[in-house]
Amino acid sequence: MAKIIIIDDDPDILDACSLVLNSKGHEVFTATNPEDGYRIVKNNLPDLIILDVMMNEPDDGFFLAQKFRRNKIAVPILMFSSVSQTVGMHFGINELVPVDDFVEKPISPSLLVEKVEHLLRLRRET
Amino acid sequence: MISLVPSWAVYNEEFWETIKHRNLWFIKLRYGAVLMLFAFIVSSEFLLGIGFTQTQLVALTLINCSILVYNGILQWLRVYLKCEPFKFNPLHFSLVQMVLDLSALMLLVYFTGGIETPLFMLFVFHMIIGSLILPGTVIYTIAISVVFIFFGMVLGEYHNLISHHAVAGLLQTPLYNNFKFIVTYSIVFGFVILMSVVLANKIANQLYLMEQKLVESLEQLNAAEVEKQNYVIGVVHEIKTPLSAVNSYLDVILQGFLGPVNEKILAKLQRVRARSAEAIQLTNDVLKVSKLRLLDEIKKEEIKVRDILSSVLKKQRANFDRKKVKLHFKDNRKIRSKILGDKLLLEIAFSNLVSNALKYIEDEGVIEIILDEKEKGIQLEVCDNGIGIPEKDIEKIFDDFYRASNIRSKGYEGTGMGLSIIKHIVEKHNGTIEVQSPSRLASTNKPGASFIVFLPLE
Repeated sequence: MAKIIIIDDDPDILDACSLVLNSKGHEVFTATNPEDGYRIVKNNLPDLIILDVMMNEPDDGFFLAQKFRRNKIAVPILMFSSVSQTVGMHFGINELVPVDDFVEKPISPSLLVEKVEHLLRLRRET
Repeated sequence: MISLVPSWAVYNEEFWETIKHRNLWFIKLRYGAVLMLFAFIVSSEFLLGIGFTQTQLVALTLINCSILVYNGILQWLRVYLKCEPFKFNPLHFSLVQMVLDLSALMLLVYFTGGIETPLFMLFVFHMIIGSLILPGTVIYTIAISVVFIFFGMVLGEYHNLISHHAVAGLLQTPLYNNFKFIVTYSIVFGFVILMSVVLANKIANQLYLMEQKLVESLEQLNAAEVEKQNYVIGVVHEIKTPLSAVNSYLDVILQGFLGPVNEKILAKLQRVRARSAEAIQLTNDVLKVSKLRLLDEIKKEEIKVRDILSSVLKKQRANFDRKKVKLHFKDNRKIRSKILGDKLLLEIAFSNLVSNALKYIEDEGVIEIILDEKEKGIQLEVCDNGIGIPEKDIEKIFDDFYRASNIRSKGYEGTGMGLSIIKHIVEKHNGTIEVQSPSRLASTNKPGASFIVFLPLE
């Protein structure tokens, strides 16, 4: 069982993801904006952060991820993106984005579980 | 240094390109003029029986040689010129050429008889060319100077202040000392020169203004297009957000996270899931096309087309197996040249082409993919024996959202954006795409289609 924080401005996405991750026995916290998200992460020190790339402003997610890293929060970050496969904005591992993996929206529950378990396993191993 | 540049053109690259191009053109023309002058001297001596004096022959030869020499120097100098609006630039260079040419022509006119030579008409076309490239004040000054120098020469000859060089055999009676003749001819000459300058300059100005307006409207059009695409991206994105949530909830239900679901309901929910996936596919396609349209420049990396194609085919292997489609891949090229392009975009295009061919094959399918060398480019052909494209639809199949009548009636799902995306990507690479249906793999009830993509090397 792990502690996971999901930050996304769409409450339905938060609800659906919580449902899925709860059913796998994880404890899930949610936040709908970067400020609350940062506070909850600071207070709870989770095992994994799930972050939407676009909240109120495009790239909010990126800035928040950078803020975590700058403040020495080394928790793995899984990012929801709706643009990774679209032309013109191709995020890659070599492009200095401080996140560990991406899941493209719409989120498939089985894929989400797979990626979450993978990142948690990596964290346990190190 | 006086600025000859019209205000709108100071930083207009195309303007400078035109001027540079025109300077080169003048230099080439001038070599022609040297040849013509030489031919003129020879032919008037031998064909028309016009006799030049020793002085005239020496003077004409010297003038011709000087033109040749200064033209050579100009050609050499041209390469070192920079397009700096406020320093010595190609426009000043045009002015220098003009002044040199007019001086040479004035000497030529003087040594072939002043007012008696037909060569003074050549001033008119020099003036017209000058009016097209130089600002009004500069060309008016030049025109007035030419007219006055010409008057001076004619009057000087009339009063015997300078010697007259008549061309023997051209006129039966000399005219340079006929006062009425020189006055009427000089006045008409001056009038013609000034009028041509004024008219040509007015027309040139109007053309410049028109060009400026065209450039402005083009910029406005481009800005409107960018705004439109950004609007489309915004709207589509807003639609995609709730669709994504719907899809995720459906997956939560369908993948059993909320417990078992009644089979009847499950079947319908699966349809809902399929239709919402279709809508998401559409939003993704529209986003792709809009972003492609907003893309000013694509990446220019060296690309081996064959590598991209192999990776696409590898990813599609399972689909070939599932539909039991035979694949024939031939690379007919002797030299495997690389092209410059965007790897990611080309992969999207090739992948769309192949999956399109696969999608519309019904049974005993064959897909032939052929790479060929063409002049200055590479040709990729993807040929299938699928359901083909009805003749009436062929023209429109690259349009956004267009779906051919036969695929609609047979119930194939799709957004109608696939070929539009391919076409955009190919055109961003300055390439072309054509389609033929029936293809050469056609058989009864299976007309097939063949897509031919050409990608230039540079």
